[in-house]
Amino acid sequence: MQVFKLYLKVLKKNIPSMLIYLVIFLFFSIIISSSMSKEQHVDTLFNQQKSNIAFISEEKSPLIDGLKHELEKVANFVDLPDEKEALQDALYFRSVYYILRVPEGFTESFMKGENVQLEKMAVPNSISNTYIDLCIENYFNNARLYVQHMEGISQESLVQHLKSDLSVNTSVELKTKSNKPQNHIYANYFFSYMAYSLLSVLILGITTIMLVFYDNDLRRRNACSPLSTRSINLQFTLANFLFTVFVWMIMVVFCLLYNLENSFNLNTVYFIINSFVFAVCGFSMSFLIGNLVKSLNAIHAICNVVTLGLCFISGVFVPPYLLGSSVLKIASFTPTYWYVNANNQIAELTQFNFSNIEPILSCMLIQLGFALAFFTTALVISKKRRFE
Amino acid sequence: MFTHIFINRLKCLLHDRETIFWTMIFPLILAVFFNMALSNVNSWEIFKAIDVAVVDDTNYRNNEYFKAALNEASKGADRLFNLTVTSKDKADQLLNENAIVGYIVVEEPIKLVVNKSGIDQSIIKSFIDSYMQTVSSINSILLENPAAQKELISSLADRQQYVKEVSGTNAEPNNVLLYFYTLIAMTCMFGCYFGMREVTDIQADISPVAARVNIAPVHKLKTFIYNTCASLLIHLFEIFVLLIFLRFVLNVDFGPKTGYVVLTSVLGSITGISFGAFISAIVKKSEGIKVAILIGVSMTGCFLAGMMYQNMKYIIAQNVPVLSYLNPVNLLTDAFYSLYCYDTFSRYALNMGCLCIFIVIFCLGTYLIIRRRKYASL
Amino acid sequence: MIIKVKNLVKRYGDLVALDHLSLSVNEGEVFGLLGPNGSGKTTAINCILALLKYDKGEIEIFGQPMTPDAYDIKRNIGIVMQNVAVYNELTVYENIDYFCGLYVKDKKTRKKLVDEAIDFVGLGEFIKFYPKKLSGGLLRRLNIACGIAHKPKLIILDEPTVAVDPQSRNRILEGILELNRQGATVVYTSHYMEEVEQICSRIMILDRGKAIATGTKDELKAMIGIGEKITVETYSLSEEQLSRLRKLPNIVSAVYKNQTLEIKADKGLHNLETVLDFIKKEGIQFGKIYSEMPTLNDVFLEITGKDLRD
Repeated sequence: MQVFKLYLKVLKKNIPSMLIYLVIFLFFSIIISSSMSKEQHVDTLFNQQKSNIAFISEEKSPLIDGLKHELEKVANFVDLPDEKEALQDALYFRSVYYILRVPEGFTESFMKGENVQLEKMAVPNSISNTYIDLCIENYFNNARLYVQHMEGISQESLVQHLKSDLSVNTSVELKTKSNKPQNHIYANYFFSYMAYSLLSVLILGITTIMLVFYDNDLRRRNACSPLSTRSINLQFTLANFLFTVFVWMIMVVFCLLYNLENSFNLNTVYFIINSFVFAVCGFSMSFLIGNLVKSLNAIHAICNVVTLGLCFISGVFVPPYLLGSSVLKIASFTPTYWYVNANNQIAELTQFNFSNIEPILSCMLIQLGFALAFFTTALVISKKRRFE
Repeated sequence: MFTHIFINRLKCLLHDRETIFWTMIFPLILAVFFNMALSNVNSWEIFKAIDVAVVDDTNYRNNEYFKAALNEASKGADRLFNLTVTSKDKADQLLNENAIVGYIVVEEPIKLVVNKSGIDQSIIKSFIDSYMQTVSSINSILLENPAAQKELISSLADRQQYVKEVSGTNAEPNNVLLYFYTLIAMTCMFGCYFGMREVTDIQADISPVAARVNIAPVHKLKTFIYNTCASLLIHLFEIFVLLIFLRFVLNVDFGPKTGYVVLTSVLGSITGISFGAFISAIVKKSEGIKVAILIGVSMTGCFLAGMMYQNMKYIIAQNVPVLSYLNPVNLLTDAFYSLYCYDTFSRYALNMGCLCIFIVIFCLGTYLIIRRRKYASL
Repeated sequence: MIIKVKNLVKRYGDLVALDHLSLSVNEGEVFGLLGPNGSGKTTAINCILALLKYDKGEIEIFGQPMTPDAYDIKRNIGIVMQNVAVYNELTVYENIDYFCGLYVKDKKTRKKLVDEAIDFVGLGEFIKFYPKKLSGGLLRRLNIACGIAHKPKLIILDEPTVAVDPQSRNRILEGILELNRQGATVVYTSHYMEEVEQICSRIMILDRGKAIATGTKDELKAMIGIGEKITVETYSLSEEQLSRLRKLPNIVSAVYKNQTLEIKADKGLHNLETVLDFIKKEGIQFGKIYSEMPTLNDVFLEITGKDLRD
């Protein structure tokens, strides 16, 4: 077990670097998962999140007041001075997501039946903004009906009508299996984000150590020893694998610690299994990269390409429904995609019969397939390199 | 002397083909990935029809208007819903199997049954809300003016848009661009490896070659600066390749102020290189640890600037605004962004100023450490 | 005097690496610094070159105090260090050209100097090679070429023949002598006494940061009591015979161990004759006999009580 012990010694010598990587990426994981899960809390009531908006009106009228009243259902108002820079700054730093401006003369023109418009400046792709838009459109379209078909209606009476009309609400029944809704959101994000953090630590850690071993003199010395190449490889792989398991365990433990109340269910078990499968995949990827790379500086660049790139197209940083179908098709040639896919399915899982589990299992099998492919490629390359 | 040292340094640096290749290629590949992932984001529309069912009971059959509205929303190529009309039990079953997002029961008021809350569910609810609110309005109108029925129907179909988007400047706040700008900032910070290398090769207590250079009749600091110029040249070349790739191949818009974009890149490159030199000078441990620190700091910088999770940038800006000025990656990203977004230069100048302070600190720190000619031990 | 060092003291914490070392190197000589590992040779060299901070002492080169800024002095110094100091990313030619270029600005002159340096060390066939592809001996030759290409007046070599094959080593030593003939003053450190004996005109022996002996080869050897060492292989020798041997004239000591008789004698012309006569008279059977002049190792041993190679 000499090679194995040597590996552990090299690892020990490099502990400061490994710790730095582990702590930093774990830190990322925890912060992102906390923030992302706060964004999408599961309610028992059917609530959408209110966003911050600035309401700037160049005129005052009951119609506009009525609008403001309606908007309070979907937004929080933030006071901002009516200066271009201040407004741009507010949007830039997201202290407001939406700025609505009522131009002067709007109410008058509207009551005459003309087609006038309010002005908005908004942060794009915000779902909450969609509700604000919808609220405004509903208000004025309904108001238009009144204006067009109730001659000479006063603003006050219009606003009264609208108020009662727009208070009509669909009743929503939320059917969940258990009495207490299961919150897998944090776990889902954390484990999906592990695709980035776990993979980064594995690539950086394993390749750093492999670079030491593949230093020419050490390699030759090992090749001359009476240990068979098979034994050397085996010990080396075993040591790498142990490192992988160790890192994986730390990350899983942290996830469970932060999310203890939601962790005692079968979903968590599946999350853990899935992440282990991915860890195996990550291990073989790192092994392959370690066999290809010859300099320490290049590792960082390659690590970034692999981890960031794959995670972007697989739906870790950008949610899958925002990715186009062609992108997802390309991503399906990477193991990260299948990992994230399985995670999302596990988060939704409420019944654990075979038909529900089957697609998850196939995702895991695909990941293992990738792992095998990477590993065998790595072995072939390492054999070639031996005779350099 | 400058040419001699500069040219030889260039030869040295260019010899390490692997590093040069990867540090040049990786931002290009990442940019392609970003582009793929984010190309849809700006033109995000709900273009996948939602699976809904409606319970086929007497209430539903009698409510002509709702039936019509629902059907209208469920036909055509860009329809909102895929509608299934079925019994309550079957609807429950479909919901359990997640074959539908929710089902509608026509009551007073109309009820929606779902099994979780999400965007699709919200869309259905908004649709029904809209419908019911309009019905309420129509009823009120008809109470006062029963004759208006015919015109009402045509007015209903004539839905207007009452909000128009107005931009503050020529350019709107754009999420996607931020990713690319952060990528450029990250690439600038990658200059730290060049900086690290320069210090290693000039400090006699780190490499024997440096000892030889220290004995030669050349001013050590001058040699260092000439060497660093060579590194700067190569790194700037890599950044410009990235900028050109972004601009002309991926059509990323930098706004009209191209000269300032170039200036920002140059300053960014200098920041990265001086940062690497600084860390290499003060951390007296092995190369592995130096690299770990460089990776750690630059990745944390990228993270806090919002590369992996864009909201991070805003969380920091709202809660710990000082941090956004202490993070060089963020300063660079904001600099690019303010060139794109704002007309005035005040924000840009602020960012550049902070960046310059960083450069001065790093350079001064490096200078103070490497100017030592005699060492305590070799 | 090319180099003058007075009372140099260098401490690493509690360890005194150089203990009030004083030395001087005259123009045109090949000055050898001999001493076991850890005696302070490299430390002394680094202090002289103003690379290392020292606690006390004065150092002058070419009559000027030596500082890191003394570019005029540095221009005339060439250094060949213990560790190979070349750029792995430049070819043999480019390396020599680069370092020469730090001393010589004129391109034409430099080209001539570089070509001469390459000829001198015999790397003509390898100018396009990268250092990684060179064997140990060739690498050392490159190391030397980088140090002497600019034809300095003072050349300092710090253990330049470590891990070098005998052919390259001979070449290096001859080369140094040639450089000396061409007018350079050479300071040569080593712990191989044979090399130092071979080329150095004046030698200083260091031990634990102190100079314990200085002088030419012969002066040093004269310091010790032994003039000659005679070794005889014999299968049997009685104590009586041994004591009678010890009483012979000029014989300083005689030790019989492992069937080998080691005799140390004072300087004299007839020592071997005396011993041979004695052996014949006693009828002692013998195998091989050798007689050697004392080496520097013997000098060192006598003065410090330990071997140079310890």
